[in-house]
Amino acid sequence: MCGVCGIVSYDGPPDLTLLRRMMGRLRHRGPDGNGYFRDRRAALGHTRLAIIDTLSGAQPLRNEDGTVWVTFNGEIFNYVELGAELRHRGHFFRTASDTEVIVHAWEEWEEECFSHFNGQWAIALWDRRTERLVLSRDRLGVRPLFFIRKPTSLLFASEVKSLFADRTVERAFDPAGLDQTFTYWSPVAPRTVFRGIEQLEPGYYAILDRDGFRKAPYWRSEFPERGHEPVQDARKNADALRERIVEATRLRFLRSDVPVGAYLSGGLDSSVTSAVITCYTDAPLHTFSLRFSDSEFDEGQYQEKMSAALGTQHQDIMVSPSDIAAVFPEVIWHAETPILRAAPAPLFLLSKLVRDNGYKVVVTGEGADEVLAGYDLFREARVRLFWSRDPGSAKRTRAAELLYPWMGRSPGRMPVFARSFFGRRLDPYDPAFSHRPRWDSTSVIKNMLSGDLRHEIDQAGAEDIVAAMPPCSNAWDPLSRAQWLEMTTLLAGYILASQGDRMLMANSVEGRFPFLDRDVVDFANALPAWHKLFGLEEKYLLKQAFTDLVPDDILRRPKQPYRAPDAASFFTPNRPAWFEAVTAERAIATAGVFEPSLVAGLMAKCERTGGENMSNTDNMRVLAVISTQLTHEYFMADSGHGALESLLPAPSVTVDLVKDDRSVP
Amino acid sequence: MNRNIVEQILRDYDASHCPGTDPALEAVRAAIMLEDVFGIALSDSEIDPAVLAGSSAMSALVFRLQGAG
Repeated sequence: MCGVCGIVSYDGPPDLTLLRRMMGRLRHRGPDGNGYFRDRRAALGHTRLAIIDTLSGAQPLRNEDGTVWVTFNGEIFNYVELGAELRHRGHFFRTASDTEVIVHAWEEWEEECFSHFNGQWAIALWDRRTERLVLSRDRLGVRPLFFIRKPTSLLFASEVKSLFADRTVERAFDPAGLDQTFTYWSPVAPRTVFRGIEQLEPGYYAILDRDGFRKAPYWRSEFPERGHEPVQDARKNADALRERIVEATRLRFLRSDVPVGAYLSGGLDSSVTSAVITCYTDAPLHTFSLRFSDSEFDEGQYQEKMSAALGTQHQDIMVSPSDIAAVFPEVIWHAETPILRAAPAPLFLLSKLVRDNGYKVVVTGEGADEVLAGYDLFREARVRLFWSRDPGSAKRTRAAELLYPWMGRSPGRMPVFARSFFGRRLDPYDPAFSHRPRWDSTSVIKNMLSGDLRHEIDQAGAEDIVAAMPPCSNAWDPLSRAQWLEMTTLLAGYILASQGDRMLMANSVEGRFPFLDRDVVDFANALPAWHKLFGLEEKYLLKQAFTDLVPDDILRRPKQPYRAPDAASFFTPNRPAWFEAVTAERAIATAGVFEPSLVAGLMAKCERTGGENMSNTDNMRVLAVISTQLTHEYFMADSGHGALESLLPAPSVTVDLVKDDRSVP
Repeated sequence: MNRNIVEQILRDYDASHCPGTDPALEAVRAAIMLEDVFGIALSDSEIDPAVLAGSSAMSALVFRLQGAG
């Protein structure tokens, strides 16, 4: 895993000093080395976290004759097989790295090459023959890739802070990006919360050449028509799913030249991936877990049980609310966006534990909830759909009591509230039927926005993600539509970004996600919906597939989503001074996002309760305010963050064709 | 779906889920599964613990409703 950045200039050679500054802001993504390439049109930068071919895989890396150069963040897990095929087709390899597969695959297949890759990537490739920049991002958005199109250049980078190394880049919130964040929990690609800054959509490639800038998908998340799924037999599908998950996990554990650890949450998904590693490889496994001092969030007993069952070397870190408050500014510096939950903060501390133990790669269970239907949101949608068939039925109304059994204030204990909350907008023909309750309850945050921002959002016009759903989706199972929405919004925008890549890379750790393997996802998408969510039993097929490897009480325990204390983390007796600074009336007014008087009222309410027992909406409001304020402080108010360029060590690749005036290095 | 597949699915349901303590609510849970998997619609009188008592009873209901459909 690494950091990538670069410049394509339309009016003279790219500025190498700027490129080095951009690289300097990505050092945390690649502390093991760095390098750059420049010719008269383009410059590519790279900061390296060395994992595969640690000796000779330095980047940027070229093809045989130096006409194609690449800077690459991620892994192409099937690089061994692709390398063999490309050698057979006559390509000559100088390294044993997965990076080199990219340049030869581009030579061989051009834009079609991305369909051949099974992995997680952000790629920038410069083809000197045609003066063509090619950007590409993996299918589901594991790796980030941002860019800005300026009148005389295009800049791209793994993180926005790298683009801000260019002092001419505007630093302002994008009203539509904030509107999406306060609806869907994150901006939806290509939008970001920063005006003028775009992110490449997952599953897309983009090209910039003499014909201009254009982009296209090489992969889409697609589902079969309900009832026309290729295999209806659950047992056959369980066997086939197991085969794919085992292979995906093996690839991610074994294809590394440094030791690989694993996260163990105590839930089903990471138990499966850890169990596969211990059962299908010979290597010892080191597992890492998060613990919470608050028992409402802690899963320690399950982590210990699974670790003992697998015989792993296990370590955990206990996180308290004050720990979350202490690191939260650093979390936002890395997330680079407002967030509505504190959950990324403990994951930041967990990746630090991994790094402190000498590991820089972990396998995790991320993605299983989206791909195999684990989230409560899917159960909620099925209950509401059942209810919608006869909203007046007293028996159907009771279905809401089956939801969220893990919650202290579960619908089963508060049936009247549950009926009023889940009974709204029961329109089964709404393509976003599954997500309306979440989006509606999140949008309440917008009641606190300043008048000016509300006006700007109105002017920008709301972007409805539903309009982007494929036309054929009306023939999909309702669960498939819900999965599509979840993968398009929350997975790419929040789970894999603010909770995933950014919290891992903050401590120079690479995450690998078997459930997001190309073959696993394509297979899972083609399953009958009931194989994933059987009645209200989530991830049914996954449980059937691994019943022999996972202890029964983990297999059958009710789903407990990963959560962390939210508002309560910021109203402890000894909270850090930054909190007062960013929530002061003047700071709120300066940022211009929220109405100061409403923020003051919210904070006073939290002070009275210590942030405890707040409603879901108020918890989100608190997090929205402080994370937005910190985002403003770090990326717009020019508070001195980012003066990190000088910390880069000497580069190992220094190809400057402008300076050297040579055509082939 | 033929009879064998329907019966197998309902046996799998019986085997996989841990019944709760409220039989009326468990009938609702079973009704959600039946409507989703088999594309049938149950009346309120059919969302009843006595009607949905085990895989055999549920099979009979599914065949009756599918036949009616």
